Amino acid sequence: MSTSSARWRLERRLDVSAARSVGTRTAGVVVAVLGALAVFQLTGRSAPDIAGESIKGTFGNWSNFQETLIILTPILICAVAVALGFRIRVWNIGVEGQFLMGGWAATGVGLKVGGPQWLQLLLMALAGMAAGALWVLVPALLKAYFDVNEVITTLLLTFVAQQILVWFSTDIWKDRVAAVTNASERVNAKLPGFFGSTTLNWGFLVPVVLVIVMFVVFRSSRWGYEVEMTGGNPRAAEFAGIPVKRRIVGVMMLSGAVAGLGGMIQLTGAVHRLSVSFSNQYGFFGFIVAALAGASALALLLVGLFIAFLLRSGIAAQTRGLSVALMFAVCGMILLIVGVAEIATRYRLSRAAPEPMAPVPQEAKMSNTHFASAQEPA
Amino acid sequence: MSGVTGTACAVRLRGITKRFDRLLALDAVDLDLRRGEVHALLGENGAGKTTLMNILAGLYRADSGSIELGGEQVSLRGPGEAIAHGVGMVHQHFKLVETMTVAENLHFGWDDTPVLTSRRQLADRADELSRQFGITVDPRARIWQLSVGEQQRVEILRTLARGAQVLILDEPTAVLTDAEADELFAILRNLVSEGRTVVFISHKLREVKAVSDRVTVLRGGRVVGSCDTADVSVRELGTMMTGAESVVVARSASSACGEVVAELVGVSAISNRGLPALRAIDVSVRGGEIVGVAGVSGNGQSELAEVITGLRRVEAGKVLIAGKDVTGRPPAQFSGAGVGHMPEDRIGMALVASASVRRNAVLRHYRGNALSSRLSLRRGAVRGFADDLVRQARVQVRNAAAPIAQLSGGNQQRLVAHREALVAEKLLVAVHPTRGLDVHAAAEVDQALLDRRNAGCGVLLISDDLEEILRLADRVLVMYDGQIRGEFAADAADRQRIGMLMGGQDEESA
Repeated sequence: MSTSSARWRLERRLDVSAARSVGTRTAGVVVAVLGALAVFQLTGRSAPDIAGESIKGTFGNWSNFQETLIILTPILICAVAVALGFRIRVWNIGVEGQFLMGGWAATGVGLKVGGPQWLQLLLMALAGMAAGALWVLVPALLKAYFDVNEVITTLLLTFVAQQILVWFSTDIWKDRVAAVTNASERVNAKLPGFFGSTTLNWGFLVPVVLVIVMFVVFRSSRWGYEVEMTGGNPRAAEFAGIPVKRRIVGVMMLSGAVAGLGGMIQLTGAVHRLSVSFSNQYGFFGFIVAALAGASALALLLVGLFIAFLLRSGIAAQTRGLSVALMFAVCGMILLIVGVAEIATRYRLSRAAPEPMAPVPQEAKMSNTHFASAQEPA
Repeated sequence: MSGVTGTACAVRLRGITKRFDRLLALDAVDLDLRRGEVHALLGENGAGKTTLMNILAGLYRADSGSIELGGEQVSLRGPGEAIAHGVGMVHQHFKLVETMTVAENLHFGWDDTPVLTSRRQLADRADELSRQFGITVDPRARIWQLSVGEQQRVEILRTLARGAQVLILDEPTAVLTDAEADELFAILRNLVSEGRTVVFISHKLREVKAVSDRVTVLRGGRVVGSCDTADVSVRELGTMMTGAESVVVARSASSACGEVVAELVGVSAISNRGLPALRAIDVSVRGGEIVGVAGVSGNGQSELAEVITGLRRVEAGKVLIAGKDVTGRPPAQFSGAGVGHMPEDRIGMALVASASVRRNAVLRHYRGNALSSRLSLRRGAVRGFADDLVRQARVQVRNAAAPIAQLSGGNQQRLVAHREALVAEKLLVAVHPTRGLDVHAAAEVDQALLDRRNAGCGVLLISDDLEEILRLADRVLVMYDGQIRGEFAADAADRQRIGMLMGGQDEESA
């Protein structure tokens, strides 16, 4: 935008093609990753080595890839939960809290209710889903009936959920026998291993199934159609007789239930105890995945895998004295860059008459204030 | 034209071309504006009037062409530079801060505003400006308390205060009552008598004829012609504007009226602002007639449409559709009972912009057994239904799976009109159905209303375009302040009387 390039100007595009939209997101990711690698190089570490180790540590062999899938599972489930909300333009930013409450409820059932393992698992799944759904019920009702911003309510409830977790894992259900601190007793019910694997269990298929179900529901179910129309324009939905408020509450509770199920799977598939470090911010990573993937189901899987790869790389980077937090920073950078690039795709540079730089047309300028909408599904 | 002094030409535009993506909005437009004239810029919606003036006001940049102000070539980088050169524009949508006072609105963003000031000083300065330009405003009133006409005066005063010698008004009368419009015209005459130039954007022939000294007609981004207004007739202007003798809608006399299809009995309702919008009104529509509701917007017409389609709660009274009491029922029951609705805000209410043309086409019918079971949509049937509707409505669409936002307003409204006609077995409520449409789309939409009437359905046509109502309606109701103030049979409609009633002027009280 310098004065020397005065002959170039920004012009608003009337439509943004899907290919361009995908290109933008990909470019954002690449730029952020290259930026991170540049930081490694400049601080005296070998960027190619780190990149190579990261790839090997994630995809290099079956055992490493299983570890990646284990990280992917909770992230992807949370991403599905967020993506569900996006369909009706609700930002359930508190999936983390619903995930925690799902894990909490499942632990409770696992510790207190006996019975055959399959029944235990079923009850735990139901309890996890119910807890997640109930945890978002109040924000959902406030959103639907009083137009209270769900970003704030769901986010704040996450902190409450974290405190409940601390309380139960360090006091009420604390394991006073084993030498573990700040964790509950072990929950014995376990998801069966994936073809006998000791690391990977069948749980990793749950988000994949959820993604497929979601795709089908929004393509050809009546409910999905109503949700899409409500998300696109609530007034038009009301006009057409769709029960808008009920759909909002329904979608949000479903989103919470999915996140809660994620907590149950995390418990029975990976950690087996409720603890203060039950979730590694999986809910928030899920949010990033959903925001980057947009409305596409396939993209959800790919982006999920990519974020899981970043987290695994963070673990690998620890061996070189780097912190995992670095990967959090990279994720944040990606989200930021993609957000900016998203707005940029709505414009194009065009070469025009030999006149100075044009101001952006007014209506185009106003759309800049809708930065938030840039991350909504298209 | 007493004020012509010095260089008679205040503004000279040459070869102005502007392109929005693939759309050529202005094609080598030349325009001369003289000092001391009201210059009307006439054209249909989309002719390029507003775009051209946005360029002169510094909001847009022309792709090519030159702007001369007072004989000097200028390049305007923004509205600030335009006003520094003495060009100011009052937009159709006012740019006022509703919660602030008139005096504050006049002063914000203005270099002349004292750095340290008080409410009283601002009010005094505003009073002074008001006197200086002969425009009456109450400096202490807050904007939201003012009528639209008063708000417009604030906008004009604000523009003049910043030294505008060329004042551009975009469709200034669209929101005014006749009386307010007359006041505005008096203000404009006064301004040009002092040597200023006023550009008056409009598509209303009568007004252009009444207020302007010269007129330039635009069509499809090109200048059709420029002339002294006194030299052309209204009919000639109309022909220049539309490009042909106006499109005539095939209108037959109303068939004998059928049963009452919709009835409001003593209905009262409140507006979104919580103010009374309908005051115990009685309205009935019979099958086979078009009832036109005339009035200046904001007198309860929107609420009337919402009440009769079940979208707004009724505070008192009863709503009957086909003789059945449906007061307080959800909107779905109204459409189920055969009430179709073309709402005033197409994109805001009738359509989901981000969804595909097909998904929008079935918005009213997807629940039917033909298109869905309890759980799933029959995708083949949806596609067939939508494609049929698109064909019938003559919607020009390249890809029915693409978002409907990509269609032009005319094509969107064609789809809405035919979709709602399918719903409207008893009653079709059409609110400003042709607003913003080109002549051809407008004629087709009008025809869709007439077809529905001829099929024995009742039509409630709400519009602030009196021409449209007189052209289509079999019966005309005049609304003012939430009440029905008058009723006319189509052949007995007295334009002048309707105009008076629209402005709240009753013969008894006048």
